Amino acid sequence: MQIEVKNLTHIYSEGMPYETVALTDISFEIDKGEFVGIIGHTGSGKSTLIQHLNGLIKPKSGSILIDGVDITGKDVKMRDIRRQIGLVFQYPEYQLFEETVHKDVAFGPLNLGLTQEEADNRVVEAIRLVGLSYDEIADRSPFELSGGQKRRVAIAGVIAMKPQILILDEPTAGLDPKAHGDILQMIERIHEVQQNSIILVSHNMGDIAKLADKVLVMDRGKLALTGTPAEVFRQSDLLESLGLGLPPATFMMRVLESKGIQVSTDILTIEGAEEELYRILTRGKN
Amino acid sequence: MIRDITLGQFYPGNSWIHRLDARIKIIWTFVYIISLFLIQSFWGYIPVLVTLGLIIGVSGVPLKFILKGLKPIFLIIVFTFTVNMFMTKGTPLIEIGFLTITEEGLYNAAFMGTRLVLLIIGSSLLTLVTKPINLTDGIEKLLSPWQKLGLPAHELAMMMTIALRFIPTLLEETDKIMKAQMARGADFESGNILNRAKSLIPLLVPLFISAFRIAQDLAMAMEARCYRGGSHRTRMNGMKLKKKDGAAVILMLLYLAVVISQAQGLFGRFI
Amino acid sequence: MKNTKFLIQAAIIAAIYATLTIVLMPFSYGVMQVRVSEALTILPFFTPAAIPGLFIGCLVANMVGPYGLMDMVLGSAATLLAAVFSYYLRSKPLLVPLPPVITNGIMIGCMLYYAYSVPLPLIACILWVAAGQLIACYLIGYPLLRILKKYKKIFELH
Repeated sequence: MQIEVKNLTHIYSEGMPYETVALTDISFEIDKGEFVGIIGHTGSGKSTLIQHLNGLIKPKSGSILIDGVDITGKDVKMRDIRRQIGLVFQYPEYQLFEETVHKDVAFGPLNLGLTQEEADNRVVEAIRLVGLSYDEIADRSPFELSGGQKRRVAIAGVIAMKPQILILDEPTAGLDPKAHGDILQMIERIHEVQQNSIILVSHNMGDIAKLADKVLVMDRGKLALTGTPAEVFRQSDLLESLGLGLPPATFMMRVLESKGIQVSTDILTIEGAEEELYRILTRGKN
Repeated sequence: MIRDITLGQFYPGNSWIHRLDARIKIIWTFVYIISLFLIQSFWGYIPVLVTLGLIIGVSGVPLKFILKGLKPIFLIIVFTFTVNMFMTKGTPLIEIGFLTITEEGLYNAAFMGTRLVLLIIGSSLLTLVTKPINLTDGIEKLLSPWQKLGLPAHELAMMMTIALRFIPTLLEETDKIMKAQMARGADFESGNILNRAKSLIPLLVPLFISAFRIAQDLAMAMEARCYRGGSHRTRMNGMKLKKKDGAAVILMLLYLAVVISQAQGLFGRFI
Repeated sequence: MKNTKFLIQAAIIAAIYATLTIVLMPFSYGVMQVRVSEALTILPFFTPAAIPGLFIGCLVANMVGPYGLMDMVLGSAATLLAAVFSYYLRSKPLLVPLPPVITNGIMIGCMLYYAYSVPLPLIACILWVAAGQLIACYLIGYPLLRILKKYKKIFELH
């Protein structure tokens, strides 16, 4: 496996009057190339968890092994960690600062020690991968762009570093439905092209149901549930008690079931719902 | 990382000292600082130590926090002490190689050192027992008589209040920006001054842009609520002087009297 | 007179100054006093709101940090004075970071010598502080000024 987290615990402001336990005894594994979704109510520790994964935060206890190497150890160089693990924060467009789009996207690769030429190549690739036209955008100031474009540029800045593990914290926050869909498609594309593992933190159950191989459910600093999307979303009562909803398609199926219609509730996507409904509606006709 | 920094020096508590009017505390601190420079001899430190001890005791602030305030200038204290000890000319006491410690040197070092320590403790005490927001109100009230002479006390106080309100927000922004840039390989920690200076640009530019964006939103919100500035605004919690403040003033005058008379040698007959 | 936007700009500048002082704490309050936030003293180049802004920022930073009353008063006064001069020098960008070096050098230097009784000649105290200011104002502040020139729009008080 690529990532192995064991008994991770973290406490904020230890010893001060404002001490808070952020993470308690978290353990899980992620395999190479997996697409993992992390869900949980606000404050459940999702952001804290992912910041541990690329070494921004050091845990109080526990270990994080990436390709067998414990990154919580003392001798680990941060640069090497960040080479492998990319993290896109929420509203990443707020990290843009350079004079041109090209320079901003090149920031990451150059920090990794690549030559200007290598970095330039990465920039072109990355900008294309996020669905923007390099020639149109490269020399413009990042601050002239629209919100959606800025976000893509920000993401390009991270994937230009070609991380083997890409973590995205609510990449669709604040976007309208079309932009939301576009970004999601972009993520799928990146997953295909760069063949990396993706960790997606999201509030959108539909997205998670559609894309994830595995789901981690956080609740108040603890890992409440893990499994495939099918396994996790089957437990609607538990999810409700954790303050989480269901994918829209699943939810609809449950409503129908509660009204006495015999549908399968193991549905995760709109397409699946469509098929199931078609099956039921045409059943009588055969 | 940044979440671990507690904003301000304020140590929460409900002591008599905590509840004193902020204006009184500000004036007290001024008086205290001035008094330290009136003292000529070690005997003069006795009323200071007694008073300070009483104040710290009543306030309930642990000694640990008080001493924390000395950390930043620890080096200055050591430096002052050592130089005074070795460099003052006079009757030699101990000789270490080519360095001589004189009697006068030791006395000077101790005297200056003590004054410095008492100075820092006293002035940091103000921020330990007064919330920044109350300090702001206190400063505004103290400066308001000068409003007639053209000093925009209200506006300045408003700026202070807004600034205080936004520091936690900006701290979070800074934290986010720092982390985002660190995730892209930025290094704020290593390297010489020149490198570190350059590395701050990816932090400062986004911070500025964020901050001004927040400012725009706030301006709109305030105007939408008909804020027009000016000192005609009323307050929700007026600052009223209470009996304890009167008592504090009396104690302050008493303290001052003792210190001054000691300095003038009026106690000489008793010692 | 001071309309709302001006006031808020000043307040935000104050908040940024104080925030930077806190965030980069080990630098800001130690003996060397390389207050990175002093790089912000170039702001009067862009807007007069920086004059009260920096003054209040310094005041608040001292409220929230461990130095205490004297630094609050003298440091803030030095910053205010410098900001006024920087504003008047704004036609010559290279000179804009100079006033804070001078005013802080002199005023804080005197504070160290007279009040803190640092046993060095007065001129040494002054130069010591001025050196720290030089680094912050010219090494960080001036490049910052050059870059921010491109984003002048954000300072506009529509």
